[in-house]
Amino acid sequence: MKHRGFRLLATASLLIAVVAGAATRPHYGGTLHVSLRVAPTSLDPSQAEWSGSRDVLSLMFDTLVTLNDQGRPKPALATAWQAESGSQRWQFSLRQGVTFSDGTPLTSEVAAASLRAANPTWKVFSSGDAVVVERDSPDPNLPAELALSRNSIVMRDGDKILGTGPFVAVEWDPGKKLVVAARDGYFGGRPFLDSIEVELGKNLREQMVSFDLGKAQVVEVAPEQARRAVTEGRRIETSDPVELLALVFGRESQSAVDSKQREALSLSVDRRLFNSVVLQNGGEPAGGVLPNWMTGYEFLFPVDVDLVRAQQERAEVPETTVWNLGFDSADPIERVLAERIVLNARDAGLRLQLATGPTDVRLVRVRLASLDAQVALGELMAGLGLPQMKINGDSVEDLYSAENGVLKSQRVIPLLHLRTAWAVSKTVRNWSEARDGAWRLPEVWLAAERP
Amino acid sequence: MPGRHPKPVYNARIQEMPLLRAHFLRALCSLLLMVHPTAVFATDWRAAEVQLARKIAAAMGPGAVALEVSNRSSLSSTESDEIRRGLWTELAALGIHSAAADQAAATVQVSLSENRRNYVWVAEIHVGNNQPSVVMVSAPRTAAAVGERATAPLTIHKALLWTNDNRILDVALPTGSPQIMIVLEPENVVLYAAQNGNWQLQQGLAIAHARPWPRDLRGRLVARKDHLFDAYLPGVLCQSTAIAPLALQCHESDDPWPLASAPVGLSAFFAPSRNFFTGVLSPGVQKQTATVPFYSGAVLPRDKYTLWIFGATDGSVHLLDGMTDQVMTKWGWGSDIAGVRSGCGLGWQVLVTSRNDGTGDTVQAFEIADREPVVASTVVEFPGSITALWTDPESASAIAVAQNSETGRYEASRLSITCNR
Repeated sequence: MKHRGFRLLATASLLIAVVAGAATRPHYGGTLHVSLRVAPTSLDPSQAEWSGSRDVLSLMFDTLVTLNDQGRPKPALATAWQAESGSQRWQFSLRQGVTFSDGTPLTSEVAAASLRAANPTWKVFSSGDAVVVERDSPDPNLPAELALSRNSIVMRDGDKILGTGPFVAVEWDPGKKLVVAARDGYFGGRPFLDSIEVELGKNLREQMVSFDLGKAQVVEVAPEQARRAVTEGRRIETSDPVELLALVFGRESQSAVDSKQREALSLSVDRRLFNSVVLQNGGEPAGGVLPNWMTGYEFLFPVDVDLVRAQQERAEVPETTVWNLGFDSADPIERVLAERIVLNARDAGLRLQLATGPTDVRLVRVRLASLDAQVALGELMAGLGLPQMKINGDSVEDLYSAENGVLKSQRVIPLLHLRTAWAVSKTVRNWSEARDGAWRLPEVWLAAERP
Repeated sequence: MPGRHPKPVYNARIQEMPLLRAHFLRALCSLLLMVHPTAVFATDWRAAEVQLARKIAAAMGPGAVALEVSNRSSLSSTESDEIRRGLWTELAALGIHSAAADQAAATVQVSLSENRRNYVWVAEIHVGNNQPSVVMVSAPRTAAAVGERATAPLTIHKALLWTNDNRILDVALPTGSPQIMIVLEPENVVLYAAQNGNWQLQQGLAIAHARPWPRDLRGRLVARKDHLFDAYLPGVLCQSTAIAPLALQCHESDDPWPLASAPVGLSAFFAPSRNFFTGVLSPGVQKQTATVPFYSGAVLPRDKYTLWIFGATDGSVHLLDGMTDQVMTKWGWGSDIAGVRSGCGLGWQVLVTSRNDGTGDTVQAFEIADREPVVASTVVEFPGSITALWTDPESASAIAVAQNSETGRYEASRLSITCNR
């Protein structure tokens, strides 16, 4: 009887083999082909042009610390750290045995020099095997700041910039192509991939053609195209909403009249419609600068259109100003959104016009630079071109207070938080992103053809 | 002498730091988890309730309030109700009592929200026509318990042995008095002793290695008779001393790793900078001393020969019987397999990993009849990817390690098979 039962189950075993994929250990080897829009002309992490593609930088460069998905610092090139003098002086103990891609050992002197170059206002020096950072005022968020890609530890040798990262650049055609190869001696373990080829400066259409032809295995997908790409059978990986799309005024509100117009504009914008129609739910309506998954309080900032109140605010203004609305003309989604904002504003009695020259207000897209909420807010301010605000403590209430202050200043009107989306070939395994959408390519491996 | 030394800001959370204190804390947490799982997962909201009630009271003073609580988080409705009741209790203690909205001095909208670290409870307090004031508190988020199921024809029993934030490579339970559990981590071997039904931390031994470990690090613990254990890691062999207090001596080594002990003993060479065996066997399956590179191997002794099964790196399964190397390409097994002698069915089964629609990996027992796999048990589910599956030295059970996809923690379990009579 028992054997009969087993035979009956044999049929089930075949079914299992088909339905459930094998739990396969990672394979070493292969080249991953990636295509990107950005077209940087330098491999220097301190160059602002890399701000949109820190993922690529992280292939070649490490930071002293990194952040986990909860935004808490964890060791990278530094294995331990401690604060002194009320978080004004920090000491980071360097990991032993780390080398740059040319084999040069990482020393505290080199690390200190790298951080000094990236942060001229900081006092950074080496002390034995440690790097010491002294700030003018207490900086409890320093470890999280050091996790920013611009604080990558580099060694400059003439024109060459060397990193300690899991890959080393072996071919570099500025603005066009980057090829990196795995480093056997990487302290975190050699990546599974042998190499990664990154095509740069490719628009989204070119990327998708490469993907469909099998020339690229990872390409960018516009948020509004992600759903369609899925229905067409492509594997799409999306992040949490990690990119802020906002209206940013070029200067502070000049008068009560100006404030009322700005308030009316914010109330007139139909964020939910933008998200559902224009972006095909590729994001979330944004009332705050930081997304709710990061703060837990974003819902306090209203996102619903309120045309009645917008018109009331407008009615208290004797004569409205005509505002020039700027946007990135190369970004199709920004153009569509800008046109709709103009129409929404008109419904409230406001006058906006699209402009390519000087602008009063412009559409801006900025990606979260950190998983630490306080650092992320500071970086967003910088990315939006707004002055830094002071956060008076480390509680969620302190963060809320600071962000509320930013919104009350009326320099920025948050519109949407967008997801990043990638089309990823089915042969790419172990693809994962950090909560802020950052790649984890050293963990990626390519599936071998099943024999 | 408080104040003389600066207070370290970051210590115990550094996983790489081989601190005994850190180990002790981890051990304590793991122990709590294992002994009283419900106690760990059940959350005491009182501190946050008290804090929020005080903030509300400070903002509005005593009096009648219309309170509404909405849940915007992953908390269950039961938990949400529990918090609402707790909040009312704390508010009442501060002189705030419930009233209908039209009779209340203030209305308070409490939202139970969350971010990636914490629950965030926000109270919007409306008094008259004033701008609402906002107060908030946060409370750490907790992980949810994970269940399992298992039924006939054979039953795989999964017994949780240990959990850890650090990667667990292997766990060994050598017999003896007192009973000892050895946990192999990337940088340490940690020993625990059973005392009063609990595992108590005994000793942490650092693993010395000159080269960085490969990704997908694997390691194997083997209990020994003349000393406590050997730990096999890629390119490194560590041997414990024989007497307490134990020491660990590690050296670079390409010694083959044991796959099974006598009488079916077989060892295999492991690639020192990769995650697989090279395929070279020692001493071999009769005359066969090599096969393709493989991730794992399992033995199935037969009456007249011994069948070895290897999960190859190319996804195929190789059957070696001493004469032939038969390649099976359609079995769809995962990379990790382990042979277990249960005494049920054909006597020996192979535990095989497979993927479960993205929620986690599974293990199922198979028998090999006429060189075809036959399902011998239902599936045991794991809450994430299985990172290790090793047969124990007596082949009576296997150790499986999975990384919980929710918590990120590693969970080592012992898998044993029982007959359903």
